[in-house]
Amino acid sequence: MSSHYAPGPPAGQPDAPPSDATQSLDYTLERGEARPDPARATSPGHGGVGVFQAPRPLQQRTPPEPTPAAGTDIDSPFLDLFGATRPARSTPGRAAAREQQPTIPQQLVAADPLVAADPPAAPTTPVAPTTPAAPTAPAAPAAPAAPAAPVALTEVERPPAGPARRSTRVPHQVGERLARPATERTAPPPADAAPQRHPSERPEPDTGDAPPSDRRSTSRRGRATKPARVRPPKIKFRDRDPSVELAITEIAGHLTFTPNTVTAWYWLPEVRWAFRPDAEREALLAAISEQYAGLAGFRLHLRRTTRPFPADEWARTIDTHTRAPLPDVPGTPSWADHLVAAQRHLLSVNHAEGQTYLGVTFARRSLGDSLVERVRRTFGRGVADGERRKLGRTVEQFDEVLGAFGMRGRRVTTPELEWLLYRSVALCMAPPGRLSPVTDGHWERGDLLALTEQVERYRTPYGSTVKLVNRMTGEEGHVAVLAVGRMEPLEIPERHEPWLHFHERLPWPMELSSRVDILGSGDSFRNLEHRLRMIRSQQLDYAEHGIDAPPELERLAERALVIGDEMTTGLPVESARAHGWHRLAVGGRTREECLERARRLIQLYSRELRVSLQHPKNQDWLAREFIPGEPIANTGYVRRMPVNLFAAALPQAASTVGDRRGDLIGRTAGTCRRPVFLDLHFPMEVRERSGLGVFVAEPGGGKSTLLGALGYLAARRGVQVTLLDPSGPLARLCAMPELAPYARVLNLTGSEPGTLAPYSLIPTPLRSEFSAGDAGEREFEIAVSNARAERRMLVQDICMMLVPPQVAREASTATLFRHAVRQVPAEETATLDDVVATLGKLDDDAGRELANLLLDTAEMPLAMLFFGRPPEGLLGPDATLTVITMAGLRLPDLKIEREYWSAEEALALPMLHTAHRLAVRRCYGGSMSSRKLVGLDEAHFMEGWRSGRSFLVRLARDSRKWNLAALVASQNPKDILGLDVQNLVSTVFVGRIAEDEEIASEALRLLRVPVNDGYEATLASLSAADSASAARLGYREFVMRDVDGRVQKVRVDVSYVDGLLDHLDTTPAAIAAAAGVLPVVADLEA
Amino acid sequence: MRLRTDDDIYRARLVYLGPPGYTLPVHLPYAQYGLFILLVPLYMFIHWLVTLQVELFPAWEIALAIVTTSFVFRYVDPDRPARMVIHTALTDWRRTREPAAEQRDPRLVGSRIRIREELA
Repeated sequence: MSSHYAPGPPAGQPDAPPSDATQSLDYTLERGEARPDPARATSPGHGGVGVFQAPRPLQQRTPPEPTPAAGTDIDSPFLDLFGATRPARSTPGRAAAREQQPTIPQQLVAADPLVAADPPAAPTTPVAPTTPAAPTAPAAPAAPAAPAAPVALTEVERPPAGPARRSTRVPHQVGERLARPATERTAPPPADAAPQRHPSERPEPDTGDAPPSDRRSTSRRGRATKPARVRPPKIKFRDRDPSVELAITEIAGHLTFTPNTVTAWYWLPEVRWAFRPDAEREALLAAISEQYAGLAGFRLHLRRTTRPFPADEWARTIDTHTRAPLPDVPGTPSWADHLVAAQRHLLSVNHAEGQTYLGVTFARRSLGDSLVERVRRTFGRGVADGERRKLGRTVEQFDEVLGAFGMRGRRVTTPELEWLLYRSVALCMAPPGRLSPVTDGHWERGDLLALTEQVERYRTPYGSTVKLVNRMTGEEGHVAVLAVGRMEPLEIPERHEPWLHFHERLPWPMELSSRVDILGSGDSFRNLEHRLRMIRSQQLDYAEHGIDAPPELERLAERALVIGDEMTTGLPVESARAHGWHRLAVGGRTREECLERARRLIQLYSRELRVSLQHPKNQDWLAREFIPGEPIANTGYVRRMPVNLFAAALPQAASTVGDRRGDLIGRTAGTCRRPVFLDLHFPMEVRERSGLGVFVAEPGGGKSTLLGALGYLAARRGVQVTLLDPSGPLARLCAMPELAPYARVLNLTGSEPGTLAPYSLIPTPLRSEFSAGDAGEREFEIAVSNARAERRMLVQDICMMLVPPQVAREASTATLFRHAVRQVPAEETATLDDVVATLGKLDDDAGRELANLLLDTAEMPLAMLFFGRPPEGLLGPDATLTVITMAGLRLPDLKIEREYWSAEEALALPMLHTAHRLAVRRCYGGSMSSRKLVGLDEAHFMEGWRSGRSFLVRLARDSRKWNLAALVASQNPKDILGLDVQNLVSTVFVGRIAEDEEIASEALRLLRVPVNDGYEATLASLSAADSASAARLGYREFVMRDVDGRVQKVRVDVSYVDGLLDHLDTTPAAIAAAAGVLPVVADLEA
Repeated sequence: MRLRTDDDIYRARLVYLGPPGYTLPVHLPYAQYGLFILLVPLYMFIHWLVTLQVELFPAWEIALAIVTTSFVFRYVDPDRPARMVIHTALTDWRRTREPAAEQRDPRLVGSRIRIREELA
C-alpha cells in the first residue's frame, strides 16, 4: 500500500480522472457488500422481495409452521402493518395467462392484519391466550430483523401469524414491560394496539388469504364458545422514559417552524457527474455557486439521506412489462424464482439511492408571531394564517433562485419532510416500511413522526459512537459522526471528485449534514478585514518587541489581501463565503463495525481527497445536528470557504444509467454504486428511438458473454431471441434446462443447401405493414422496390465475395454482375443459380468465365448454402431462443489481404454476411409489435461492403417499426463509425480497450464522451486484472451509454442466474471442463 | 478549477508577547490568558464557598487556573476552539458519574409536530 499524499495522480494512472478510474483503494470494497446492511435492507418488510408466480397447479396449503424466519421473530403490533403489501397489480393481459395462480405468496407473507388482528375468532391459532415460556427467552429477539427478512419472503407458506410469532419478544419493547399480565389474561393486545396507534392505517381489503366463508364460520364458532364478549384490556403505551420534543413545532407545506426560525426546504434532484466534459461540469458548479451566493445572509442546512433501492417495486414493474414470460420447466427455476433471485441479489449488494434536501433558514420570527403561535398551540391550532400567508410570499424568491439551472431544486412535500425527520432521528437505521409512492407506501400524515418515539438513544461518556435502538423492531444501530476538518486545495472537475459525493465509493449508506452560513460580500469582507487587522497587529507586536515575526504571518496577510481584493473588485459569486460545519454519519450494526467503517472513510478521504475527517467527542450532540431545526452541536471544525468550493461538494451527484424497468444486469462501478437495469425494448417502446445497440471491446472483453446474458434474460421474458454466434460457445445457452424446450441451435456449416440463398434473405414488405390509402400505397411500393434494390446489391456483393479477389478487382466483373443481376427478377423466389445461368447465357467470354468461377466455388460444400432454394420452415418463429452458429468455420483476419486468404476463409466472408441477414430475417416472420431481439457477433466483417452498411441502417430503421432490439458486437468501433450509423445507435457498451489509443478514441466518440480528456485511460483500466492474484477475474466492466445519453461505468454481474455463467464461459478450460457435463453443440442441433 | 478554503487565514497563531517594552519569556495565545482570567475568580468563588474567606493573594487559585488552562489548551487547535473543548469536557464529565457504562439519552420525539399539507 503506497500512501500517496502528494497532490497528483497515483502512479500508473497518469491522467485518468479519478472519478472514473478503477478503484485505487487497496482494501477490498467488496467486504461490506456480502451482507445486507440494516440501513438498506428490509426492516419489517421493507424493500422486501416481491414474489411472482407463474401458472402452477394449486398447492395444498399446509398449516402454518413456526418457521425460524428472522423476519418474524419480533413481536410488534406494527409488524403486520409494515409487512403488509397490496396485492400485486395484475394486468388484464396476464390475468388470462395466470388465471389459476392461487395467490401471490407475498400476500400470504403479509398475513394480513385481518387475520392477525382477529385472534379471538381464529381457531387456527392453536395456543391462544396463555403465552408460552418463550417470551422471556432472550435467544431470538434482539437480532436485527433486517438481514434475514428477504429469506423469509420466499416461503410460500404463511409465516406463523399466531402466538408462535408473538412468543418471541424484544426486550426493549414497551409491551414487554407493561403488558405482561394483560397477555396472560386474554386476547393479545398488539392486535388492538395497532389500529389504535395508527387509526389512519387503511384497512386492508380482504386479499383472499382465507376464503371468506371459512372465516365467517370460524368467527361464528368463536362467538358460540364465548357468548360474553371479553373486552381486551386497554394497554397504555405510557412510558416514563425521558423524552425531548424536537425543536420543530410545525410543518406547513415545505416550511418548518421552530419557535424562532422558519426553514424552507427544497429537494435537489440528482445530477450527472461522471463522463461529462469538464466544461459542462464547471458550468454546473458555477451555476450552483451563483445560486448559493444568491442566498447570502441565510443559514443553510444541506442534508443528504438515503433510501434503500425498492427491489420489490422494480420486480413488480418488470413483471408488469413482461406479458408472457417463458413458461416454467418443472424442476428448474421458474419466472418467479428468477425474479426472487434478482431481488435477493439486489438487496445483498446494498444499493441505496441518495436524497438531497436543502433547507434555507430565512426568517427570524417576530416576537408577536412566536407568542401567537404559542397561544394557538395550546388550542391545537398552530401557526397563524396571516404569518403563513406572509411567509408564502417570501419563499417565492427562493423558488426562483433554487429552481434555475444548477440545483434545479423543487419544494419538498410534507411526506418527504417527515421522511427526512424520521431518518434524521433514527440516523443510519433501517427505514420503516415501504414508502415508495408507486407501491402503496400509505403512510398517513404524521405516522412517520409518531415512529420517532420508538427510537431510543444511548451514549457512553466520551464515547465515539451513539447507540440507537428501535424498540419496535429491536434493531440496534451505532452511529459515528465525523466532522470535516482541514482541507487541502482541491481541483474539482479536473482531478478530484465532489467532496461530499466522494463517500459514495464506499458500499454502505451514509448520511450527510452541512450547516452553513452564507456570507454576502459585505459580511465576508468585514470578517476577513477583521482577521487581517489581527494579523497585522500581531506583526506590529513582534516588531515592537524586536522579535522576528514568524514568516507565516506575512504569508497569511498577503493571502488575506489577495482575497480581500477579489472580494471588493470581483463578482458577488467570488466574494460570497460559506462558513459552516460539515458532518458525515456512518452507521453500523455493532460498535466495532461502525468504527471500522469510520476508519475506512477517514482513510479514504485523507488519501484521495486530502480532506482530514475528524472524529470528535460529544457524539450525541453531533448526531442531533442532523435533525432539521435542532441546534448546531458546537463550534468546532467550522470550515470557511468560498461558495464555489461549497458548490463543489455536490452531494446530489449521482451516476445512474439504464432504465428502471428492464433486467438487472449489474451495477455502476464509477463513483457510486447503483443497480443497472436494461430493457432493450425501452428505446423503441417508450423513447421511440431505434433499438440498435453496439458492443465494442477487445477480444476477451466480455462481449460474447454479455450478449449471451442479455439473450438469456430476454428469452426468460418471452422475447423472441436470435443470436448469431459464429464461433459457437453461445450455443450452450440452449442447453440450460429452463430454456432447453424452447431453444434450438442452427449450425450453418451442417445445414442444407440453399439455407443462405441471398435472394430470400431480404423479406418483401407486406401491404398490411403500411397505412391504408394512397399515401400508404405509395410507401408500400417504395418499400417493395427498395427491397428489390437491396437484394440486387446483396447478390452482387455475395458474387464479388465468391470470386477470387483478382477477378473481383477488374472493372468488367462488376459490370457483368450488375448486368446479370439486373436480368434476374429480384424477388424472394430467385436464386443464385439464376444469376449463374444468366451469366452463362451472355455472349461474352468474360461472363461465361464468371459463371464458371461461381460454379467452381459451388463445389465446396459450404458454398452450396448459397445456391438453390431455402428449405421450408427453416427458421420459424416457434423457438423462443435460436442460436445460429458456424461451428468449425475459420474466420479470416481482416488485416491480411484477401489474396492470401485460404479458400475456406474466403468463403467465411459471404457466409457471415448472409448469416447476419438470416438472423434478422427470422424477426420479420411474426407480428410487428411482438418483442424481438437479435444479437450479432463479429459484426466487423460487415465493414467495407455496401450491403453491410445498408444492412445496419435497415436494421436500425426497422428496429422501431418491428420492435426489434438489435445488438451488434464488434472489435473495433471504427466499423460502426465507418458505417455512419452512429446517430441510429441507442445503447452502447464499450469494454476494455487497452492496446490501441486510436481505437479507444473511436470508442469514446461512439459513447459521445470527450476525446483526449483522459478517458482513454479509463477504457484501458476496465476489467483490469489484479496482477497479484492468480484467480480469474470474476466480472467484466463496460462503459455504457443508455438511450438517454447517460454514460457510466458498469460492472456486469448476472451471477444471480443460477448456472448462466457456467454456460456462457468461453475460456478453453471451462469448455473442456464443461464438456462432460454440458452437451456439445452437435447434440443441441434441432 | 483550483478551490481552497480560507481556513489558513483563520489559523494564524496570535500570541501575547507582553506589555510594551517588556517581552514575556513565554508567548501564549490571547485565549489562554482569557481563560486564565476567567478561571481565577471561579476558583476563588469555590474557595469562598468552602471556607467563606477571601484571600488577598489567591496563590492556590492561580496555580489551579494555570494547570487547568494548560490542560484545556492541550486539546485546543484552530479547528477545536476552547469553547468546544470545555463544552465537551463538561457534558461528558457530568455524565461519567453514572455507574453504568452506557446510559440512555432522552429520546427525540417528533410526534407532536403539526403538519399542514399546504402552506396557506
